[in-house]
Amino acid sequence: MTHRPVLKVENLQTRFKSVQRGKFVHAVDDVSIELYPGEIVGLVGESGCGKSTLGRTIVGLEKATSGRVLLDGVDLSTLSGGALRDSRRALQYVFQDPYSSLNDRQTVGEALDEALQIDGIRSRTDRDRRTKELLDQVGLADVVKDRHTRELSGGQRQRVAIARSLAVNPRVLICDEPVSALDLSIRAQVMNLFLRLQKDLGVACLFIAHDLELVRQAASRVYVMYLGKIVEHGPSQELYDHPSHPYSQMLLASVPEADPIAERQRKVPLMVGEVPSPTNPPSGCRFRTRCPMVVDDCKQQVPPAFKLSPGHDAACVFAKDLHRGKRSALLEAEVAATRVAALAS
Amino acid sequence: MHDEPLLNVSNLTVDLLTAKSAIRPVDGVSYTVRQGECLAIVGESGSGKTVMNFAPLGLMPTGVTTSLSGSVRFGGRELIGLPEQEVRKIRGKSIGFIFQDPMSALNPVRRIGRQIAEMAELHLDMTPRAAEARALELVKLVGISDPAARLRQYPHELSGGLRQRIVIATALAGEPKLLIADEPTTALDVTVQAQILRLLKDLQRRLNMAMVLITHDMGVVAGAADNIVVMYAARAAERGPVDKVLVKPRHPYTRGLINAIPKREDPIGSQFRGLPGIPPTLGAPFKGCAFAPRCDFSVPTCTASRPPLVPSADGSVFVACPVVNEGRAAA
Repeated sequence: MTHRPVLKVENLQTRFKSVQRGKFVHAVDDVSIELYPGEIVGLVGESGCGKSTLGRTIVGLEKATSGRVLLDGVDLSTLSGGALRDSRRALQYVFQDPYSSLNDRQTVGEALDEALQIDGIRSRTDRDRRTKELLDQVGLADVVKDRHTRELSGGQRQRVAIARSLAVNPRVLICDEPVSALDLSIRAQVMNLFLRLQKDLGVACLFIAHDLELVRQAASRVYVMYLGKIVEHGPSQELYDHPSHPYSQMLLASVPEADPIAERQRKVPLMVGEVPSPTNPPSGCRFRTRCPMVVDDCKQQVPPAFKLSPGHDAACVFAKDLHRGKRSALLEAEVAATRVAALAS
Repeated sequence: MHDEPLLNVSNLTVDLLTAKSAIRPVDGVSYTVRQGECLAIVGESGSGKTVMNFAPLGLMPTGVTTSLSGSVRFGGRELIGLPEQEVRKIRGKSIGFIFQDPMSALNPVRRIGRQIAEMAELHLDMTPRAAEARALELVKLVGISDPAARLRQYPHELSGGLRQRIVIATALAGEPKLLIADEPTTALDVTVQAQILRLLKDLQRRLNMAMVLITHDMGVVAGAADNIVVMYAARAAERGPVDKVLVKPRHPYTRGLINAIPKREDPIGSQFRGLPGIPPTLGAPFKGCAFAPRCDFSVPTCTASRPPLVPSADGSVFVACPVVNEGRAAA
């Protein structure tokens, strides 16, 4: 990859004031990611790990405590006025729930027209032409433009929401669980739309999701996040074949299979304990309180990201062993789980 | 009657009348669940899977007139037409419920111990003290560490997974014979989902309960259920043992659903498999097969009359598709 990233996030940190006085919720802590033009990148992790906050901070819906967001090499925090508005247009957000992200009282045409006016298209005929083009891009018939958004199905609404974010010619789409509110049979249609947009328009996409299989198929690279930090990052195939952080291994091994015979034989790694509070995260490695492989070092310092293969790195002191020896952590996890079960009974 | 299944639903039809419209979310569905057995009911939103289970027990929103026909026999007793006071004795006692969102299923301003104990007091006529002891037992049963301390906590102090365990403990407090779990793991993360499913399965076996698992996730079905009913637009499209239906789906809709699940072997950046078209909106009863407009195999008879759910070539699997049943599509 010799070309420049369209979006670069450097050591981003987002903290919120906690209800406990004087304390902070460390939602995103020292996160760096990159997005190249025309690529779909996955961001996975459990609820509360900060993945949505990261997305929201990138587009400016939350204020970063420190760190930088660079769009085409320009630090967004140095911009103001018109230049900032221009950059905001280049970064668009697709929300999870298409039932609350659209105005029920608008027709599809009005919803798109509004976005086009904001984009500065003065002429009515130009806007109409562009509306038609946008509907076509997201696979909706032209007649839909006179219908109210409330009359549409979930899948159609999400298409309208996507068309609306495309109206301003964005360079980057931040998609926050864009298909999880949709029915199974409709998901594939919307996912294929993302694949097509990426090819046809060259839009880069940060795909935030908890559905690991969906991300694997759509994304060329994946970031795994735990408690505000990126713990592993790599090309999808490589990361799914050789997960090298104990957390990634557990996450991947937790996905159930639809084949009943395989599912019954599958060993479920039981996660030990609870996700610690982001108000008071553990010292050193954040996963250490639940990690089956924890050693003293993990408490002392945050493990650096170890390079495992081109573009693949994991922040675990055992990353290199895990990368080679694959599932060692899991086997130990099963032992730990049996121990927990024995304690409970 | 030793042979009668614990729950025997036959030809259940639910009509809902609101001020504005009349809809039929459930149209002639039949299934049975035996003691110690788990039945999964799978379908998309609006397929009737939730209404089907809750309407016979009087759990419907106010302002809706519900009219039921057909038969729902639970433990040899007909539930349809039973007066509300009688239904109330069964609801929460012999039939326990687990809902999708554990936060809204719990009372946010009452301690967890009290909420569980309340169920035992109400349904098992226990004294408050005995009920508290029972609550402690139940919290241990659902595998929560430090149970005594947990009983004094409020729901907001717990994580999603722990809350769902509390909801399960509450559902078990009345010593139910049947547990109805509506999307019990949908609001949870995959790592927690695995634990909760395992717990439910384990409890079901240990307490020899029957379980109805309402879900849209085939992975959940594969791991937990014995039998499955696939719902499409208010009707059952396919019914049979999980081992057969998931491995060799017959109805074109079931096939499409299972085919749509992303697989490890799918190349990165490849097209996602799905179903064409959109699911029908709920409305008046449909004349033919509701899936016909989205079906690759449809023939004129599909839209002419409603296909009955009849045994396929494999006698244990029932399919509502004339094309499959006549062997015109490779089944």
